[in-house]
Amino acid sequence: MSLIRQVWLLLLGTVFLAFAGSVTVSTTAARDLVQTQLRLKNTDNAASLAIALSQQKGDVELMSLLMTAQFDTGAYRSVTFTAADGSVVFSREAAVGASTAPAWFVAAVPIVVPAGVAQVSDGWKALGQVRVESQTSYAHDALWASTERSALAMALVGLVAAGLGMLIVRRITRPLDAVVEQARALEQGTYLTVAEGGEPELRRLARTMNELVERLRASATAQAQQLLSLHRRATADPLTGLANRQHVLGQIESALQRDDGPAEMGLVLLRVMDLAGLNRLLGHATADRLLLTVAQTLKPYGEQVRGCLLGRLNGSDFALCLPAPGVAFETAEAIVDALRVVLPTYASTAAVCMGTVEFGRDTSPGDAISRADAALARAEARGAFAVAADADAPVAIAVLGEGAWRQRVQASLAQHRVRIMEFPLLNARRQLLHLECALRLQLEPDGEFVVAAQWLPLAVRSRLTVDADERALALAITAAEHDGQARCVNLSPASLADSAFAGRLRALLWKSPRVARLIWLEIAEVAAFEQFDLVQELGRQLRSTGVHFGLEHAGEQIGQMPRLFEAGLDYVKLDASIVAGVSRDEERAMLVRSTVTLLHGMSMQVYAEGVADGDDAARLWECGIDGATGPWISTLELRPGA
Amino acid sequence: MRIVAALWLLGGTPLAQAFDAERVAQVATQRGSKAQVGWRALQPVLRSAAGVEEVARLTLINDFFNRRIAFRSDLEAWGVLDYWASPLELLDKGEGDCEDYVIAKYFSLLALGVPVSKLRLVYVRAWMGAPTSSVQAHMVLAYYGVPGADPLILDNLVDDIRPASKRSDLTPVFSFNSEGIWQGTGAQSNGDPVSRLSRWRDLLTRALAEGFGP
Repeated sequence: MSLIRQVWLLLLGTVFLAFAGSVTVSTTAARDLVQTQLRLKNTDNAASLAIALSQQKGDVELMSLLMTAQFDTGAYRSVTFTAADGSVVFSREAAVGASTAPAWFVAAVPIVVPAGVAQVSDGWKALGQVRVESQTSYAHDALWASTERSALAMALVGLVAAGLGMLIVRRITRPLDAVVEQARALEQGTYLTVAEGGEPELRRLARTMNELVERLRASATAQAQQLLSLHRRATADPLTGLANRQHVLGQIESALQRDDGPAEMGLVLLRVMDLAGLNRLLGHATADRLLLTVAQTLKPYGEQVRGCLLGRLNGSDFALCLPAPGVAFETAEAIVDALRVVLPTYASTAAVCMGTVEFGRDTSPGDAISRADAALARAEARGAFAVAADADAPVAIAVLGEGAWRQRVQASLAQHRVRIMEFPLLNARRQLLHLECALRLQLEPDGEFVVAAQWLPLAVRSRLTVDADERALALAITAAEHDGQARCVNLSPASLADSAFAGRLRALLWKSPRVARLIWLEIAEVAAFEQFDLVQELGRQLRSTGVHFGLEHAGEQIGQMPRLFEAGLDYVKLDASIVAGVSRDEERAMLVRSTVTLLHGMSMQVYAEGVADGDDAARLWECGIDGATGPWISTLELRPGA
Repeated sequence: MRIVAALWLLGGTPLAQAFDAERVAQVATQRGSKAQVGWRALQPVLRSAAGVEEVARLTLINDFFNRRIAFRSDLEAWGVLDYWASPLELLDKGEGDCEDYVIAKYFSLLALGVPVSKLRLVYVRAWMGAPTSSVQAHMVLAYYGVPGADPLILDNLVDDIRPASKRSDLTPVFSFNSEGIWQGTGAQSNGDPVSRLSRWRDLLTRALAEGFGP
């Protein structure tokens, strides 16, 4: 029973008992008083009448007159005179007065008054006795009126008490509701604080809860900080703060593996010439400052251009990977021009040279690096501040106008020339958690189904991502309906900007409410970092349909996201650049483990993307990863019973 | 009635509604040795009275109290202007005034089974002897053998019982008894504060507590 109903019942019970008790007590007391008064009146009047009658010398007429006068002028029910021999000499009786009180009340509260009796004599002669009874009906009227009045008073008291009780209960429940809301938010990983007001007991509760929430928030923040430093140690070059060799290569590989990664890229290598000589000439400290200057010159590209990857490969070499074709050489020339001005301030011999290469998705990162290395070697041979490009022309994709692309993408979506490729996400027991669905479009009728990398940039520019996401979700729902397997669809960050996006997804999901719980929807970490509020709102809207909602390609910024715990996410997929090589790198393993701990603390599941070999997988399971996907995982045989 | 009373006097069951002998004896013991002695002295009188006619009983009871109790005003005996003593209080004190005699005789006769309707306590105006010729308020007990007939008067001023017609020194003013009152003075009203307000009812309550009855 709810608290408010209990208080109501208590109040009603108390008021009713008080009413019944007070009415009973007051009515009984009044009845007793009335009875006593009437008894005294009867006996006293009988005695007075007997004294008066005894003075009449036995004159029957006079005595009858006296009794008639007494009866007529007083309020009597009867006056009777009985002679000594038992015969009734005189008798007067009045009708019993009608009572306005209800009959049940008269029956429940009877008023019994004995008649007054006194002896009458004439000298020594005993004449008989006189008997007097008074009217009592007025007493019931008075008692009934007083009962009614006290009932009214108690009802008023009850109403006032009930009103006060309701106010108090509301005062009590309001802060309680706030605390419940706080606890529920905590369960969902949101740290709310509530106002500490009201009664001392509730104030203590609110304060305790706030302290608890504050401590959890602090510990989550501390973990995130630790994660950040681990991330730096695992992935960054200690001197320049840029990504280290392994990390930048991992990032390039991950970008190439991703379905929605760039189709073609440019790689720029930069070498500080004769670093050993500069070290000797300038000393380590100054040489380090020189390297920092180079890093500072490169940094704007990595920070300002989306998808640009920057890292220090080794002591003297830096790599800059550009997510677009045809800009590598110009970029290298711009960098060289900038450094040509700055470097001579350190030493006249200080110089860099650069090599560039353009490559497509079919190229392995190692291959791209070695071709860039060859170009770099040619540039180094040419001397200070030289730039050389790789001779091989990149595999150019069909050059079409933007309008034509838009048309093709639209047509393939409209004509259902779409298909989803499925990649399993397994847990440590090789049970299937869900199938990742990647959308392929058949751009030309009867042509090949091509990966997102080919058409996504165009779809983004043509604002067709919402259509594509919707189509992918529809396909996943159909497939899940068919085989009952969970399926995961990745949403394009560009779709977030469309205000109708969430509504369209919800409409689709509500059409198949039973399948919705099998559907996982995810969005890239970069979207959550840049458009946190939109992602949070999307998650909030999707939650009611029963789907899982999470982040993919996470890792770079996961530890730095200040309000991650408020995003309402179910899971996070760690990017391949974070998990690749985890079996060989202890710091990386520690990073993964800390990330898993942090995210588990926020009630999120953690999965790994792009797992390429069994060693990494084994290490990831050790780190507490809940599931993994990637080329190696896809080769595994499923075990039933996910 | 007489047979039952006799049974009680022989040690049988007492008349519950008229007289509770055990209770009276118990209260007399509590009250003190004088009350106990007085009560014991009354026993043979009651016993012999049980075996005789009603009129003869009057004489036995009248003589017992007239001899045993010394006349004394309430102011001297009790220290108050007017006090109505119960039978055991009177036996304990050994002295009392006219209404105390009347009360003790009244309850004793009731205990012997004399119907209450035959007894009346009467306020009278009394001419005291010739030398002073003074008039005094007085109380006597009247016995009406037949309803409406000339009553016999039990008086502490005169040793023998005479009919009222032979008592020209007394002028009756008002008479009363406990008929019709007892139901309002029952055991449950023992602690009833209202009964204290009336001298007569207060006395009835006290007598009832001592084991006497109507």
